[in-house]
Amino acid sequence: MSGSRVSKFMTQNAIYIVLVVLVAAISIYSPNFLSMTSFRDILIQSSPRVIIALGSAMILITAGCDLSAGRVVGLTAVVSASLSQMPSYPHPFFEQAPNLPTFLPIIIAIAVGACVGLVSGLIVAYLRIVPFIATLGTMVMTYGVCSLYFDMEPNNSQPIGGLRPEFTVFGSGSLDLGFVTIPYIVIIAAVIAFVMWIVYNKTVLGKNMFAIGGNPQAAVVSGINVAATLIAIYVIAGALYGVGGILEAARTGGATNNYGNMYELDAIAAAVVGGVSVTGGIGTVPGIIAGVLIFTVINYGLTFVGMGPYWQLIIKGLIIVIAVAVDVRKYLARK
Amino acid sequence: MKKAWKAAMLATFAVGTLVMAGCGSDSTSGSGDLPQVGVAIYKFDDTFMSGVRARIDADAKGKAKVDIVDSQNSQPTQNEKVDLFLNKKYKAIGVNIVDRPAAGGIIDKAKAANVPVVFLNREPLKEDMAKWDKVYYVGAKAEQSGEMQGKILADYFKKHPEAYKSNDNVLHYVLIKGEPGHQDAELRSKYVIESLKNEGIQVQEIAQDTAMWDRVKGQEKMAAFLSSYGDKIDAVIANNDDMALGAIEALKAAGYFQNGKYMPVVGVDATAPAVQALKDGTLLGTVLNNAKKQGDAVFNLMFVLAKGETPTKENTGFEIVDKQYIWVPYEIVTKENADQILGDK
Amino acid sequence: MSEYILEMQHITKSFPGVKALNDVSLRLRPGSVHALMGENGAGKSTLMKCLFGIYKQDEGQIILDGEQVEISDSRTALGLGISMIHQELYPVLQQTVMENLWLGRFPLKSYGPLKLVDHKKMKADTAALFKEIDVDIDPEELAGNLSVSKLQSIEIAKAVSHHSRIIVMDEPTSSLTSDEVEHLFKIINSLKAKGVAIIYISHKMEEILRISDEVTIMRDGNYIGTWPSDELTTDLIIKRMVGREMTQLFPEKTNVPGEEVLRVENMTSIRDHSFKGVNFSLRKGEVLGIGGLVGAQRTEVIEALFGLRHLAEGKIFIHGKEVKIRSPRDAKKHHIALLTEERRATGIFPMLNIVDNNTMACMPKYRNKVGLLNDRLREIDTDEGVSSLRIKTPDTQTRIQSLSGGNQQKVLISRWLNTNPEILLLDEPTRGIDVGAKYEIYSIINRLATQGKSVIMISSEMSELLGMSDRIMVMSNGIMEGILDAKDATEEKIMELATAGLV
Repeated sequence: MSGSRVSKFMTQNAIYIVLVVLVAAISIYSPNFLSMTSFRDILIQSSPRVIIALGSAMILITAGCDLSAGRVVGLTAVVSASLSQMPSYPHPFFEQAPNLPTFLPIIIAIAVGACVGLVSGLIVAYLRIVPFIATLGTMVMTYGVCSLYFDMEPNNSQPIGGLRPEFTVFGSGSLDLGFVTIPYIVIIAAVIAFVMWIVYNKTVLGKNMFAIGGNPQAAVVSGINVAATLIAIYVIAGALYGVGGILEAARTGGATNNYGNMYELDAIAAAVVGGVSVTGGIGTVPGIIAGVLIFTVINYGLTFVGMGPYWQLIIKGLIIVIAVAVDVRKYLARK
Repeated sequence: MKKAWKAAMLATFAVGTLVMAGCGSDSTSGSGDLPQVGVAIYKFDDTFMSGVRARIDADAKGKAKVDIVDSQNSQPTQNEKVDLFLNKKYKAIGVNIVDRPAAGGIIDKAKAANVPVVFLNREPLKEDMAKWDKVYYVGAKAEQSGEMQGKILADYFKKHPEAYKSNDNVLHYVLIKGEPGHQDAELRSKYVIESLKNEGIQVQEIAQDTAMWDRVKGQEKMAAFLSSYGDKIDAVIANNDDMALGAIEALKAAGYFQNGKYMPVVGVDATAPAVQALKDGTLLGTVLNNAKKQGDAVFNLMFVLAKGETPTKENTGFEIVDKQYIWVPYEIVTKENADQILGDK
Repeated sequence: MSEYILEMQHITKSFPGVKALNDVSLRLRPGSVHALMGENGAGKSTLMKCLFGIYKQDEGQIILDGEQVEISDSRTALGLGISMIHQELYPVLQQTVMENLWLGRFPLKSYGPLKLVDHKKMKADTAALFKEIDVDIDPEELAGNLSVSKLQSIEIAKAVSHHSRIIVMDEPTSSLTSDEVEHLFKIINSLKAKGVAIIYISHKMEEILRISDEVTIMRDGNYIGTWPSDELTTDLIIKRMVGREMTQLFPEKTNVPGEEVLRVENMTSIRDHSFKGVNFSLRKGEVLGIGGLVGAQRTEVIEALFGLRHLAEGKIFIHGKEVKIRSPRDAKKHHIALLTEERRATGIFPMLNIVDNNTMACMPKYRNKVGLLNDRLREIDTDEGVSSLRIKTPDTQTRIQSLSGGNQQKVLISRWLNTNPEILLLDEPTRGIDVGAKYEIYSIINRLATQGKSVIMISSEMSELLGMSDRIMVMSNGIMEGILDAKDATEEKIMELATAGLV
């Protein structure tokens, strides 16, 4: 009985175990990996990805899939960066730098992300196009819109730089508590993760999301407004990608139309590794965060120990397959 | 239940072993107290940068430990790699920046950690370079490659006035550009025309389009140009060799390079297939950005910096302009000097 | 040679916290039909899963032809000549009958180095098999065009093609018409004649008594006993299954119909081959049964009332006022609830727990001032539903998929009661539910009607219609053929109306 309890624990917590094993393996190989700096770097690097993955996972839970995530990150990075340039910067995006208050570009970028989500949501809910194709469409369109904007006179597709320090502080600044400093980006991600935990677990929308993913027909029969729910979910996801885009721009102090490229797949991989079911109806916020952390630890830790990038890709791929295989077992074992 | 247990074990075991295996395969994990430096390449599957990084790796043998990483053409990723280098307290770092404006942020980080930075191949903005004196740049002047392309074409048309197909002594060209907004693409496109004009050639652009540095797209764009402008085209200017070679394929399909039908095509990079095309007589000329010399310059500079010395012409082997820049010149490659240059490369 | 072809002896199987099987034995004679009976949750399917190696029994042994065997998976079972016809069939609808039949083991023919599927042989083999068990299906017909009964015949043919000597049939008649049942019995008899032994799982007493030779009864994971069928009666079986005397199948009716609540006039579907010109009314506290054959469009009518289907014509009046119902949300606003026929496909959220399933139809009701859900309130309501409907579950955090069918159904009823409905539309509310639970569901319906709720209940079981309804509306082929007062109705009268529309 105790053996089966251990194995149950192992399968139920496979994701967290893999995370711990990864960290342990890297630390054994390279003991100075275990440092405050590494810990901090990993948290910082995970932050935008957690935000994006929490949005992408919502759509996975409704048994959908959002391919537009990465391009929305790119668009919102470009939009927020273009509106946050210092007036003194010699290569301005606009002839005349708009010099807006800091919060305005942020609100605008989030609204832009939400708008793309709205379009995807409308297509999925009313045109009844499968999400994979619908978001493939919005993905391509978003990139088109972004590139068009990015190519406007006088910018002409030049990378955007010279962002105001009040804007970049969100990506690179820290809250100084005296004994420790906490990067703002980590605080933002933590707050959003908490809010999303509430959305997932404590709101009608969250319950409807799991219902639609678990059994769409039963959701209709139960009188759930499936279309409105789906649209709301895509809008929220789009807004989260917007936050992700803003943070990427703030973190690097710039943006190009190529930002966010392929982030959608990273987000899906992290969510799935974190226990979100691709067939819908299952997923938890802590799991998704763990999924993102696993990939960041791979990225960071394996580079830290000096492993070649191609090896890293092989490991990443294996992690996806193994983690999901173990996770599938979790549900098989129940039957 | 047993199966699940096994699977979990298998997973953890596999990950553990792979981490070890992956590390074991790494060549930089040698021992000794050689100075440690790191280089973040903008992306590994860039042909030219592969040449540079191979040279850096080769130069480092026995002198320094060098950790070369892939930024996957993503600025956020590159920033993360730099954070890692700084966390590992490397003595000097090389950065092949993904997006130019992001250099400022990287310089700030490096300055805070007091680790000298060598940018390579992609030039940061002047004002960013001015932020700190331990920032260097190694690269070629992109405009120079354009100028040299212009020189090749000017020489050809001066020698072959009959090549003006409209007999109006005006050079009608099509331009196949790299990625829009890419510094090299913009500068090459601009300076090839300026240099032609400076050489006294009258020019008129028939068409231009982007082929994103890509051979297949170069072929498709050229085929489209040929079908709409046909015999009016006097020359093809491509921002790199891959697109030039693509254009040559399209030209071949349209009957060029046989029975005396010819079209001058110029590219940049002097890749191996391009040199072969030079020998075949299909490519008129290309311009070599010398990867080996760039690699040498980057490594020598980082090595000197890692030792805490101040770089000079003597200890790096390259002239240092304005205290921060090493310019590695481009070289013209044509059929005549192809073998010689290539041996050198 | 043993007298039995298969002996499962003293099988015990535990899951964490539950003893699913406790010393259960089953002895099967060749060439006989052996009925396996018990309420849902009695352990029938666990026992069968042990037989097919899906579970490994903790204790006990399986003896086949006198020799002990280890069955590790269903493939091994198939190799030993044991097949199963599942209650729900999963054919590849886009492929032909013969391709379905030989799936995974197509006859091959060599063309030089190539091995290609031999369609000719496949067709001939299929035809021969069909002849052997006396079914008439074109081997090249698409599986998607066939009725459930024919798909089932294909499954049986598949079992025969594997040279199975033991065939397990799980609720084989649950979706068959009476003619089709007759045909199935013919097939079963011909299999018996060939010496094939059949384990027959069903809840239908008349069938069991007719077709089986022996009956084994289980209850709560325990083995109750095995008897020759001719020594049993329906009452005896039920008594042994539920472990207590069941004096009556239906609870005493206590409801008193009041004023009219719902009236439907000339309701006509927008689809051509659906219902036309349906008129009826429903009174407060009344149970209106809807009878008819499968395909009579009964489900379509009540789905239209619930806003799931669209009307071309017709009016719906609630409390005398005309209303438009275009979506389930509209229906909910008018206090209508629908319990669908396909519990699994359109009812439960399998991966969610009982609290979520119970509150899903009225989630907004549980919002607090800031818009977040009040989980305590949801739990209180759920606990109340669990106790008042006597839902058997370890706790309310359990995923609904692990409950028995009857308990899932009760959760769904509880879900709709939470919306405080006036009109309950119940589509085959007791399908696939065992006898004891059925009685409880009948009691719930009666209680609701007594409390003044109005119920429309579709049922294909005559006795249920007669025992539960105040009035019975009978449909045939999309037309309402008549409404009978339950006091005057008989099975014959219902049948006469139900077949009236068939030409």
